[in-house]
Amino acid sequence: MNQQVQRLAQGGRIDRSRPLDFTFNGQTYQGYHGDTLASALLANGVDIVNRSFKYSRPRGIVAAGAEEPNAVVQLGASEAAQVPNVRATQQALYAGLVARSTNGWPSVQKDLMGVVGKVGGKFMPPGFYYKTFMAPASMWMTYEKYIRKSAGLGRSPAEADPDIYDHRNGHCEVLVIGAGPSGLAAALAAARSGVRVILADEQEAMGGSLLDSRETLDGKPADQWVADVLEELSGLANVTLLPRTTANGYHDHNFVTLHERRTEHLADCAPRTAEGARQSRARLHRVRAGQVILATGAHERPLVYAGNDVPGNLLAGAVSTYIRRYGVVPGNKLVLSVSNDHAYRAALDWHDAGREVVAIVDAREAPDGDLVGEARERGIRVITGSAVIEAKGANRVSAARVARIDIDGFRVAGPVETLACDCVASSGGYSPVIHLASHTGARPTWNDGILGFVPTLVDGVHAAGGAHGIYALGEVLADGVAVGSQAAAATGGEAAEVALPASQAIAESPACALYQVPHEKPTLRAPKQFVDLQNDVTAAAIELATREGFESIEHVKRYTAMGFGTDQGKLGNINGMAIAARCLKRTIPEVGTTVFRPNYTPVTFGAIVGRHCGELFDPERYTALHQWHVENGAEFEDVGQWKRPWYYPRKQGGKLETMHEAVARECRAVREGVGILDASTLGKIDIQGPDAREFLARIYTNKWEKLAVGKCRYGLMCKDDGMVTDDGVTSCLADNHFVMTTTTGGAAAILEWLELWHQTEWPELDVTFTSVTDHWATMTVTGPKSRALLAELTDDIDLDRESFKFMDWREGTVAGVPARVFRISFTGELTFEINVQAHYAMHVWKALFEHGKKYQLTPYGTETMHVLRAEKGFIIVGQDTDGSVTPEDLGMQWCVGYDKPFSWIGKRALTRSDTARSDRKQLVGLRPKDPKVVLEEGAQIVFDPNHAIPMPMVGHVTSSYYSPTLDSGFALAVVKGGQQRMGESVYLPMADGSVHEAEITSTIFIDPKGERQHV
Amino acid sequence: MSESALSRVNLFDSRADHASVAVESPLAYSWQRSGAPAPSAASRVVLREQTFLGHLILRGGAIVLDEALREVLDIGLPGRPNTLSWDVSGERSIQWLSPDEWLLIVPGGEAFAVERRLRERLADASFAIVDVSGGQTLLTLEGEAVPELLMKSVVYDVDPSHFPVGKGVNTVFAKATVIVRRSGETRWELVVRRSFADYCYRWLLDAGEEYAIGVER
Repeated sequence: MNQQVQRLAQGGRIDRSRPLDFTFNGQTYQGYHGDTLASALLANGVDIVNRSFKYSRPRGIVAAGAEEPNAVVQLGASEAAQVPNVRATQQALYAGLVARSTNGWPSVQKDLMGVVGKVGGKFMPPGFYYKTFMAPASMWMTYEKYIRKSAGLGRSPAEADPDIYDHRNGHCEVLVIGAGPSGLAAALAAARSGVRVILADEQEAMGGSLLDSRETLDGKPADQWVADVLEELSGLANVTLLPRTTANGYHDHNFVTLHERRTEHLADCAPRTAEGARQSRARLHRVRAGQVILATGAHERPLVYAGNDVPGNLLAGAVSTYIRRYGVVPGNKLVLSVSNDHAYRAALDWHDAGREVVAIVDAREAPDGDLVGEARERGIRVITGSAVIEAKGANRVSAARVARIDIDGFRVAGPVETLACDCVASSGGYSPVIHLASHTGARPTWNDGILGFVPTLVDGVHAAGGAHGIYALGEVLADGVAVGSQAAAATGGEAAEVALPASQAIAESPACALYQVPHEKPTLRAPKQFVDLQNDVTAAAIELATREGFESIEHVKRYTAMGFGTDQGKLGNINGMAIAARCLKRTIPEVGTTVFRPNYTPVTFGAIVGRHCGELFDPERYTALHQWHVENGAEFEDVGQWKRPWYYPRKQGGKLETMHEAVARECRAVREGVGILDASTLGKIDIQGPDAREFLARIYTNKWEKLAVGKCRYGLMCKDDGMVTDDGVTSCLADNHFVMTTTTGGAAAILEWLELWHQTEWPELDVTFTSVTDHWATMTVTGPKSRALLAELTDDIDLDRESFKFMDWREGTVAGVPARVFRISFTGELTFEINVQAHYAMHVWKALFEHGKKYQLTPYGTETMHVLRAEKGFIIVGQDTDGSVTPEDLGMQWCVGYDKPFSWIGKRALTRSDTARSDRKQLVGLRPKDPKVVLEEGAQIVFDPNHAIPMPMVGHVTSSYYSPTLDSGFALAVVKGGQQRMGESVYLPMADGSVHEAEITSTIFIDPKGERQHV
Repeated sequence: MSESALSRVNLFDSRADHASVAVESPLAYSWQRSGAPAPSAASRVVLREQTFLGHLILRGGAIVLDEALREVLDIGLPGRPNTLSWDVSGERSIQWLSPDEWLLIVPGGEAFAVERRLRERLADASFAIVDVSGGQTLLTLEGEAVPELLMKSVVYDVDPSHFPVGKGVNTVFAKATVIVRRSGETRWELVVRRSFADYCYRWLLDAGEEYAIGVER
């Protein structure tokens, strides 16, 4: 096992008494509880953590937080637990952690693709994909195979995820994002005012920059103040603390999604709770906040210099974080290159750790702040007016080349001095983390005072501290309190006192604006100067893009891939814009910035899905008879969210029937004996009021004024464009009382449709609509023997054909249960639809089967229902219609009340020239010439099969089945002018080259006079 | 006058009151399919289905309905949207659903008689009453973790400090719609449509696992 060679003997927020073993690229290492994977790797002296995306160059750890571009690893000990896209800087270490580099083939140490990388400057210019691989198009598949192999950031697991995930809807008055100094102060101020506060922070521990600060608060280490505040906050009922929770997306109206990693610091699969319950690995909080405070701090900008991607180049702040928070020094000899005072603390921390600071190279001529003075007092060499222009080294930094620079002239202005070192840290200033504010679409604005973009804020959003460029600790805390109080007051909080802890005043000399450091050679010829390390975008690439005419920063971004993907430009964007500005001879605000998009850092799919997967993916609606269907072997069909029995295959001779066999048997049972269908899913709407009849007349195409109590009528509904939208039978229960049935899928939409017209157009009509779909269970008993069967179960309904006619309804009891029985038929056979309160449905259904044995009562499903109704030419809205079919197209003029006194919905549309023309597609029957053929639903119809291609298509098949009664295939179809073409042949060319011939017939194939349903 | 008003609707008692008639609540299948974990000392949520209650939808003007309800059941309409009120016994409740729509829940077997008395009292007023007892069921959730469980299930703000006892709303539950009501300090109710009941039940068991949800039958 390797030694933790870079670990300090003391210091840091790690627990040296809890060593943890972990594996990286197959090698076992040891770290401590409190480490991140990144700090543990650095402690073990691991320099190379990845190979770069495009050039396959060795890369090391650069940062200590979400902005890390290189240390993106693949996590998981088992195949099922694989997680791609994990930043080692954000992953807490746990015992047994297994991680791999995402790039590097065959390994990060010996990378074959690196050969390509060495010559890559000429081989892979920006726009590389467009230029190289787009032509010839036929070669793309070959190129892609190798490109995919050599690039990419991890892979998804090949096995099912063993973990569970969930969502939580959160509501609060004030959401504070970030628990650094400003976030803690804001949360404290808001919390004390009494409003509900959610404080989310992405890191393992709350405290942000205070966890590695050199400064004191009230004379004590800053993290003591953090502990005190967190103790108070955790004791308040109105405060929710969410550590390890990233605000990944800011959506409209202060709706923010927070990605909480609940167990990823414990193991690669979520452990069970002490009680043995599963716990969610990640949780997506869907927070609706009154006010949002962005206390997201700032990211340090690296300087762009040659060789700045060699392992051992780090951000200055990251050096401090690793030393002070994790007790790890990422090297032995440091050269620090800076443009500002604050970064000096890296050298002081390095010096405190007892390692050598070779030099601080400051781009400014005469820095004189307090930290500069402290460095000089310690005897650290400070080289002013200069910068590191190049880092040397292959797999690790070996030296820094330092020279005097002329920033305005963008040139090296003096001799180059080479300083031996193994670490170059740089700081080019700080960029407020404005990603979330940008998610709203608001463009940030450039602030010359802080040399950074500050967020533009929409209503209800505030920024605090570093997030809008306030960096001095005392000011940050005061800002946090002010913003927190303001947000709380805006949501009804009481004014509350928050005493600020005493902080030290640190004098700072002004920073200078330095982004790309000049080299002796021009940018295009100098060694690579990286801007975006994750996407391998160099300063030369940006310069080339601008030379090639890309002037908009959005175009430069797309051409070079700067800030793409999971990186979202955290480190590189501002530098890239500055370089584009330099090349275009514009200012940074003139060039502007690209838009940051959700997600801030990657969110696991599991968290997005939550509990909505597997059996809970979508609601399954069941009728009261569902259990019977399951127990009797039904196959189910999805109709909307309903599960409807599709057919009931039986064992015949030890073999389960095919669907074809089952449906043929079920059809014969209905035509010859008696069958039963669970029709409970049909939408049912109870309509009451003196104007119910008038309302029906306006919403349906046909007439309702004379429908007597005790009678039922089929109705057709159109949208205002004259197209059929629903149909069903409505029954008159009493003068002011009707019950409407709708299609299964249309139930909810039709109820809304009725309410819409009532509430917006005809509020003067006294009528109400209430869904009773779930209240009533409906059992359709149909077939010549249905009357005999029902007679055995009712003694108070007169079933005589003269007194209980077709399209009548009666009330009484069936199997001892109060029922409404309707003589409605969707099969063309004698039919009784029995409606009972759903609680009793199973009782009645079972009683029917008990008495139905001697009649071979046969349950049938939706497939048989479809065949039987199609044999009768009964349409199914949504199958035989598609929103472009009028009642006239269906040949249903008998169902249109052209002379109703009040207009009805769709009437005017039927007289438009387009709806009135005679060559519209009209519903007809089709009989294939070969009775064995069952036409394909959706098959296109032509009049002349010998017509040159493209043949004019004149219609298509809407419904097609085999009819056991006809012993032939048959179909319904829409054909141009079809109603005038009875007896003519049409042709259906199929994909395999065959052509079917079919004859246009009436839509009614069986019992055209309807005698069977009237018996 | 009331007789003629009554005759203009079909007043139908769909309840079967014989012992010989088997009756199944909307969760009957769910007990078979998913079981019902017994409550334990660790259960921070206990679920129970309040089966076979009378559920009536009332539509009409608030003033006439309020008067009729006070006379017939001695409950007033809740004065504000998204609230409900109970009678003295706590067995009957009336909940605001929309500006002219209320949900009246009464003990099993009372629905038809209550509807008849209300219809007689309301006579020729503009109103409607619809029995939906077979179409929905009432689930009670009791325990300190109920708000947590609900936060994982519904989008509405169910933080107890913002959802006082006596509040009731129609809201999105997972991918279905339910009515959420708070009937006590730690007691909440869901009114669930029959066809969605199994989905909601399975969701509650799954989401409730971390609170050791138990089911009383």
